[in-house]
Amino acid sequence: MSVTADAGTVLEVRGLTFGYEREAVLQDVDLRIGRRDFLAIIGPNGGGKTTLLRLILGLETPWRGMVRWPTGIRPGDIGFVPQFSTFDKNFPLRLRDTVLMGRLGRGGLLGRYGKADHRAVDAILERLHLSQRAASPIADLSGGQLQRALIARALVGEPRILLLDEPTASVDAETRQVLGQVLEELNRDIPVVVVTHDITAFASQVRQIACVNRQLYYHGSGQLSHADLAEAYGCPVELIAHGVPHRVLHDHSEDAVGS
Amino acid sequence: MSELLTLLNYEFARNALMAAVLASVLAGTVGTFVVVKRLVFIAGGISHAAFAGLGFCYWLGVEPLVGAVVVAVLAALLLGWLGEHRARSQDALIGVLWAGGMATGIVFIHLTPGYAPNLMTYLFGDILTVTRGDVVLLALLTVGVVAVMALFYRTLVAVAFDETFAAVQGTPVKWMTTLLLVLVALSVIMLIQVVGIILLIALFTIPPMIALMLAQRFLMVLVVAVLAGLVTSTGGLAGSYWLDLPSGPAIVLFGIAVLVLVRVGTVLRESRLLRDRERA
Repeated sequence: MSVTADAGTVLEVRGLTFGYEREAVLQDVDLRIGRRDFLAIIGPNGGGKTTLLRLILGLETPWRGMVRWPTGIRPGDIGFVPQFSTFDKNFPLRLRDTVLMGRLGRGGLLGRYGKADHRAVDAILERLHLSQRAASPIADLSGGQLQRALIARALVGEPRILLLDEPTASVDAETRQVLGQVLEELNRDIPVVVVTHDITAFASQVRQIACVNRQLYYHGSGQLSHADLAEAYGCPVELIAHGVPHRVLHDHSEDAVGS
Repeated sequence: MSELLTLLNYEFARNALMAAVLASVLAGTVGTFVVVKRLVFIAGGISHAAFAGLGFCYWLGVEPLVGAVVVAVLAALLLGWLGEHRARSQDALIGVLWAGGMATGIVFIHLTPGYAPNLMTYLFGDILTVTRGDVVLLALLTVGVVAVMALFYRTLVAVAFDETFAAVQGTPVKWMTTLLLVLVALSVIMLIQVVGIILLIALFTIPPMIALMLAQRFLMVLVVAVLAGLVTSTGGLAGSYWLDLPSGPAIVLFGIAVLVLVRVGTVLRESRLLRDRERA
């Protein structure tokens, strides 16, 4: 993998090392995301997938290395879909109000939501098949509806890159399908990064796979077939993939890094 | 009832009522943020720390509430600066501020020559001793706190709901949390006069808890919490008059009674809705 930035690079991560305690969770991670990439970050639990995402989002300060946005993406330009556990489901908000928060990055600390913000919310709710539930309290939503609401919140700010943390955990089939479609459409214009343990959910959309287990094993780009997918699962972790026989894959060797 | 209304001919009763109204506004609005953001024990730590400043100024012979304001705000800044990411040290620090503030306050009051009749007033509150000057000060404080909250409303709600998402959007989460704690500190001073240091946490929690059971939108929760605070404080005051009880505890116990009633009401309504749905 080339670490020199070319014109199409939207996000560049170089030599990133970070840990919460004394031990490093991530070691010398390099990653480059281009304008039309659809990257799946996979890896075992505790391998550092979410930590890498937090570093990219600027929520943690790296010990060493850096995160660069060559095209000038700023915090308000990043669409982010967190896991359910980061907020309280019983918070007194309607679905609409929740999605509206995706416009927070515009207008500053003292800002107010205006007509344009509300129109943007209407449009995105329509697109994610949520218009009917707009006035429902978020506590009353199903897992799939809530997941789509979080994606709507990430998209309503018209992001220049979209990052999702385990978007298919605890969602229904309808949501998976809508999600796949929407992400595919989005990917025509902006890069998408999905942290997931379930790569099959986006099998037809994913173009690149990176496996994170303290270090990052980047498995290149190009159209992926199911066979390629199986090859890409180099993580020392057991996987069941759609269309791929269930098997325990071999460990990484260092020379497999990069492509 | 008419007996209560004639009471309003007395200035002390009018002042008490005004203080109750202003306290309800602060307790309902700031308290809702305290409850949803789980800052209840931070608010407790700040209020007990304030007692140190109160005692110090009592000993100096200056207005004790000035000392309380200064120490409460300093405690808020310290806890905000420390932040939640160092959760263990923050939790322990709350304990130190809590007991340390009380100890310091008691030592200074002990050192002050003469009897200290006001001590109990600050610990348990006595709304009937609120003066006209106090009411003016409280009104200014209320307007200030509500104005700041209104200015930063959208950001404060976003940070209260999902800190991580707000941070990704470029919101200075730590500053906003610290701002919220300073608003808590200023409200604490006001509630000290109404229910006292030991009981004020009740006014931060009971009205918002009632509101969270009844309303589903954040703004409505704030409005209902203020109303619930009004019912609690005026109802408690009336009860303290009728039953000849100290006003602070009467307000707290009346509030808890209202809370239980509302909870029973919502449970009954939900079970009826469920039964109707099953029948349909």
